[in-house]
Amino acid sequence: MNWQNVATIARKDLTIMMARRGMRIALVTLPLGMAILFSQILAHSSISAEALPKTLNAFLFFFMIYSGALPASIAAYSMVGEKVERSLEPLLATPATDGEILLGKGLAALLPPLLAMWAGMAVLMGAADAVTRGTLGYLYFPNWMAALTVFGVAPLLASMAVAFSVLCSARVSEVRTAQQLGSLAAIPGLVLYIATLTGALTLDVASLAAVCGVLAVGDLALGLAARAAFHREDILTRWA
Amino acid sequence: MIEIQNLSRKFGNFTAVDGLTLTIAEGEVFGLLGPNGAGKTTTIRMLAGLIGKTSGDAWVAGCRVGDQDTARKLRGLVGLMPEEAGLYPDLSAVRTLDFYGRLYHVNAGERAERIERLLTMLELWDRRNDRVRTFSKGMKQRLTIARALINDPPVLFLDEPTANLDPEGAKVVRDFLLQLRSEKRTILLNTHQLAEAERVCDRVGIMHTKLIAVGTPDALRGTASEHATAVQLAVVTDAVVAAARDASRADVAVSGNTITIPVAKPERDNPGLVKAIVAAGGEIQFVSGIAPTLEETYLKLLGDEKHDKHDKHEKLEKNAR
Repeated sequence: MNWQNVATIARKDLTIMMARRGMRIALVTLPLGMAILFSQILAHSSISAEALPKTLNAFLFFFMIYSGALPASIAAYSMVGEKVERSLEPLLATPATDGEILLGKGLAALLPPLLAMWAGMAVLMGAADAVTRGTLGYLYFPNWMAALTVFGVAPLLASMAVAFSVLCSARVSEVRTAQQLGSLAAIPGLVLYIATLTGALTLDVASLAAVCGVLAVGDLALGLAARAAFHREDILTRWA
Repeated sequence: MIEIQNLSRKFGNFTAVDGLTLTIAEGEVFGLLGPNGAGKTTTIRMLAGLIGKTSGDAWVAGCRVGDQDTARKLRGLVGLMPEEAGLYPDLSAVRTLDFYGRLYHVNAGERAERIERLLTMLELWDRRNDRVRTFSKGMKQRLTIARALINDPPVLFLDEPTANLDPEGAKVVRDFLLQLRSEKRTILLNTHQLAEAERVCDRVGIMHTKLIAVGTPDALRGTASEHATAVQLAVVTDAVVAAARDASRADVAVSGNTITIPVAKPERDNPGLVKAIVAAGGEIQFVSGIAPTLEETYLKLLGDEKHDKHDKHEKLEKNAR
C-alpha cells in the first residue's frame, strides 16, 4: 500500500467535494444545527435530573445516525460521479492500485462528515453541560459512554456506511440511485437507537463496547466485500 | 518497444481481439485503423495493463503485459489518452495535472516544470487556473493529452485523439502529435480518421477483431487498390482508346478528352502506354498518375474481410446441414 497515493486521491476527492456549495453547507449546518437545537430543547424544557442522562445519551445517538448518512451520500457521489464523468479509466491507468484508490476515496468520504460531527458533538456536550449542570449538580460530559459513542460507535458506523455505499455504487450508474441505496447505511444506527428505546439494549459502557466489537466485524466484512467489488477490469468492462 | 504475439481477448462468447501479432519499434508511430467494435480500445486497454488478456503474450517497454508483479511498473511507463476525456470538472488544469503527476510519483520540481511546459505547448497556460467545466471540447482534449504526458512516458496510447473535435481543434491536436513523433516516443494511435493516420503514422494496421493488413500508408495503398494513369489528349479517337486498351489489357474509361487506364505498376507500364497512344495518332497534353487513397484501401480490405467471414459462416452452416 502506497500511502502517498492514498493521500493524493483523498485530497483530490476532498477538493472536488469542497467545491460543491451544497456539500459545504450540509457539513457545517447539519451538525451545528443539531447541536443548537438539542441544547435549546434542554434549556427550555424541565427534564428531571433522573431523566436527563437518558435524554443526553439519546441526543448523542441522533448524531451517530447522522454520522452514517452523510458519508454514505458522499461515497456514492465519489464513486458513481467518477463513473458518470468517465474519469475512472485514466485514474485506473496510473500506478495506483485498486486498494489505494478505494481507501483514498473512502477516507475522503469519511473524514469531513466525521470531523463535522465531532465538532457538533463537542458543541452539544459543552452546551448541555452548561444548561444541565444546575439540575444535575455535576458535569455530565465528558464520560466514558460519550467517548465510546463519539470515538467508537460513530466512526465505525460511518465506515460501514462508506463500505456499504461503495458496494451499492458497483451496481448502479446514477448518483441519485446510489445515494438512495447508500442511505440504507443509516439503518444500523437506527436499529441501535430503537434497541435502546425498547430496552433491548442497555446503554452502558460494556454494552457499547460490545456494539463496537460487532460493528468492527461488520466493517471488516463490508470492507472486504467492497474491495472485492472494486476490480479494475470489471469497472472498465461492466461499469461503463 | 511493443511486442504482441497472438494476443486475444474474449468477453464471454464474444471475441473482441483475435490473435493479434504485431511489433512496434521504439520511436515509431503506429496507427490502428478499424471500425467501431474492431477491438482497438480493448487492445490498448490490454497493453496499458488495464484489463487482462485471454491468451497470447505482449511486452510493453520490457514489461510483460498481464503480470501482476510488473503491472504497476507497466502503468508507470505508459501514457494513456482514453477516448472519453474523463476529466474532473471542478479541478483546474493545473490541479488536474498535479494530481496525476503525484500518482506517477513525479517529484515536485519536475511536476511544476512539466505542467508549465505542457500547458504552454498545448495553448492552455492562460487558462491554467480555470475549472475544467469552463473549457471547450478542444481544450479538454488538449488537457487529456497533457495528462497522458505528465509522467514523460516512453510509450503513449492514444484512443481516438481527434474524435468529435472541430477541424481547428483537430489540427492543434494533430500538430502536437507530429511534435511528439519528432520526440521519438513510441505511439500507438487508434483512429478511424484515415487522413490523420496518413499524416501522422509511420505504419498503420487495419484491424477488424484481427489484424487484416499492416504496412506504411504508401505500401498499403498499393496492396489492395489499383493505380491508374490519366492521359489528357487534344482529341480522343476510337483508335487511341483501342491502342490504350491493347497496351494495358484493361478497361479504359473516357471522360471528355481524358482517358483513364488502370495500371499495375505505373513506372513499368506508363512508357509502353504512352508509346501506343502516340503511335495511334494521339496528341498527348498531360499524363498524370492516380494513386488509390488509404480510404479506398481501408474500405476494400474491410469489405474483403466481411466477405471472408460471410463465406466461412456459410460453409460452417452448410457443413452443419
